[in-house]
Amino acid sequence: MGTYILRRLFQSVIVLIMVLLITFTLPYFQPHGIVAPAYEVLGTHANTRTVALWGAQHGMNHSYIVRFFAYVNQIVFHFNLGHSYKQNLSVWAIIALYVPRTIWLALSSLILTVVIAIPLGVMQAARRNTAFDYAATGSAFVLYAMPSFLLCMLMIDAFSFHSLHLPSSPPTQVAPWAMFTDPIGFILPVASLTMLSVAGISRYMRGTVLEVMVQDYVRTARAKGCSSRRTLFRHAFRNALGPIVTILGLSIPGLLGGALIVESVFNYSGLGIQTVIAATDLDIPTVMGITLLVSILTLAGNLIADVTLGLVNPRIRIEGTR
Amino acid sequence: MTTNIENRISSELAATATASASGDRGDHVIPMWKQRFRIFTHNKLAIASVVFLFLLTLACYLGPLIHPTNQTNQALTFGYKWNAPPSLHHPLGTDSSGFDELGRIFYGGEYSLTLGFLAGFITIVIGTLYGMISGFFGGLADTMMMRLLDAFLSIPYIFLLLTLIAVFNRSTTFLIAVIGLTGWWGNARIIRGDALLIRNLEYSQAATAMGASKMHIVRRHVFPNSISNIVTVATFSVADAILFLSALGFLGLGIQTPQTDWGTMLQSGTSQVQNGFWWEIYPLAAVFILVVVSINYIGDALRDAFEVRLIER
Repeated sequence: MGTYILRRLFQSVIVLIMVLLITFTLPYFQPHGIVAPAYEVLGTHANTRTVALWGAQHGMNHSYIVRFFAYVNQIVFHFNLGHSYKQNLSVWAIIALYVPRTIWLALSSLILTVVIAIPLGVMQAARRNTAFDYAATGSAFVLYAMPSFLLCMLMIDAFSFHSLHLPSSPPTQVAPWAMFTDPIGFILPVASLTMLSVAGISRYMRGTVLEVMVQDYVRTARAKGCSSRRTLFRHAFRNALGPIVTILGLSIPGLLGGALIVESVFNYSGLGIQTVIAATDLDIPTVMGITLLVSILTLAGNLIADVTLGLVNPRIRIEGTR
Repeated sequence: MTTNIENRISSELAATATASASGDRGDHVIPMWKQRFRIFTHNKLAIASVVFLFLLTLACYLGPLIHPTNQTNQALTFGYKWNAPPSLHHPLGTDSSGFDELGRIFYGGEYSLTLGFLAGFITIVIGTLYGMISGFFGGLADTMMMRLLDAFLSIPYIFLLLTLIAVFNRSTTFLIAVIGLTGWWGNARIIRGDALLIRNLEYSQAATAMGASKMHIVRRHVFPNSISNIVTVATFSVADAILFLSALGFLGLGIQTPQTDWGTMLQSGTSQVQNGFWWEIYPLAAVFILVVVSINYIGDALRDAFEVRLIER
C-alpha cells in the first residue's frame, strides 16, 4: 500500500509540474504583451516610457525561460503566488480571503450530492423502467441539457420572487462559516450546485448498478436464494461503489466550474467570481494563482479517490506495479 | 432483477433478429450500415430529435426570409418598443434592446449551432488522433501523453476557457478555435481506453501473428471497432460545446454585439426575470434545452446502433 501511495504521489507531482507549465505559458503569449495589462493598471493615457517602466518593474522584459524559472522558484521555494498588480495585494491574500467560501460551497454540495445521488441511482436501477425511473431520468436529462446559470436564475425566480421568498444572494461581508450559523441565504446557491451535480452522478450510478447486476456473481447470488434486496445491497451496490468513487474524484473540476457559474449568479463572493473579475481585468497573476490552486485541489481530490479505491480494492494496487 | 435485464437484452437481440429476418434476408448478407441504420430508425425519440434539429437549423437560416427583422439597430434608433409582450407583429415580443425575440432566436441560433458543430468536430478529430496514437503505440509515448492529459484535465475547464477568451480575443473564430482545441481531453481519454482494449483482443493479436503491420491493425481493427465510441462521444461534444458557449455568453464573453448567441440572449433575458418578461426567457430556454436533449438522444441512439451485440450478421 505504501508503495502504491508513493507512486501515485509521484505521478501527481509530475502532473503538477505540467500544470505549472501550462498556467504559466498560456497567458505569456497574450497578443498585446505587457501593453494591455499595463493600460489596465496605469490607465489608457499612460505613455510608452511609463508602460516600459511598469513592465520592467514587474519583470516582464526578461525572456520566457528566465521568467518561468523565476515563477517556479517563487512558488516552490518561497511559497509565493505573486502579486496582483490590479488589486495591489498578494495573490495569497486574495485567495485566503475567498477560498474558504468556495470550499464550503463546493464541499457542502458534494456531500449533499453523495447523500442524494447514490440512493437515487440505486433506486432507479432497482425499479428500472417504472414511472419513478422515467421521471428521475427525464429530469436528469433536462437538468443536464440546461445551461447552469439558467437553472440558478429559474431557482431565484421560483423560490425568491414567487414563493418562499428566500434571499437571492447570500450575505457577503461575513465569516466563511456563516453558511452554518445563518444558513438561509445559502440555501439557493447550495441547492442549485447540488442539483447540477446530482443530475450527472445519479445517472452514472444507475448505469453502474445496472452493469453490475448482469454479472454472473449477482445471478449466482439470486440462484442461491439470496433475497433481491440483499442481492442489490450486498452484491450489486458494493461493487458499483468503486467506479462511483472515481467519478466523484473526477467530478471535482466540474463542481468547481459549476461553482464559478453559481457564484456569479448568486453574487457569492468566492474564488469563481474573483477569477471572472481578474480575467476581465487582465490581472494575470491572480488568474494564474487561482487556476493553479484549483488544479491542486482537483489533483488532491483525484489522489484521495484513487487511494481510497486502492484501500478498498487490492486489484488496483497491484495493477500498476506489473 | 437480473433475469429481467437479461431477458431485455435477449429480447432486444431477438427483436433485431426478427427485424432483419423479416427484411430482404436471402443469401446475401445485409450490409453493416444498413443494419445500423435500421436499429437507429427503430428509436422513435432519436428520429424525432433528428427531425427537430434539422427543422430548427433550417429555421435559423431560412426563418429570417419568412420573418424578416432588424437585428442591428436598437430600439431607440427606430422608435421600436423594448420589452414589448408578444403581438401579431412580434410573435415572441421584443427584448430589452427592442430586438424582435423570434428573429433574435434565429440569429443567435446560427452562431450557437454553427459554433457547436464546428467546435465539436475539431474536438473529436483531435481527440481521436491523440487517443489512438497514445493507446495503440503505448510505452513511453503513452505514459507521457497521458500525464499531459492528466495535467489538462486537472485544470477546471471553465476557468481555462474564461482565461483564454478574456486574455486573448473575443472574435467568433477564436471562440470556435478555443472550444475546439481545448475540449478534446475527455474524448482522447475515452478513445485511448478503447484503442488499448482492442489492441489486446484476440483478433488484433491474431492479425499481428499473421504479420499485419501496425498501421493495418489500426486501420482495419482498432478504428472500426472504436467507431461506436467515437461517434457517440462526437455527439456529446457538440452538446457540450453549445453548453460551454452559453456559459461564456452568461459571463459576457460569448459572441460579441452586434452578433449574439443563445447564451448571451438567455443572460440578458434572465436579468429581467423579476419583471415578469417571460417571453424573453422561456421560449428560448425551451428551444435550447430541446436542442441539447435531442443531441444527447441522438448520441444514445447511435451508441445502440453501433453496439455490435445488437447487430445480427
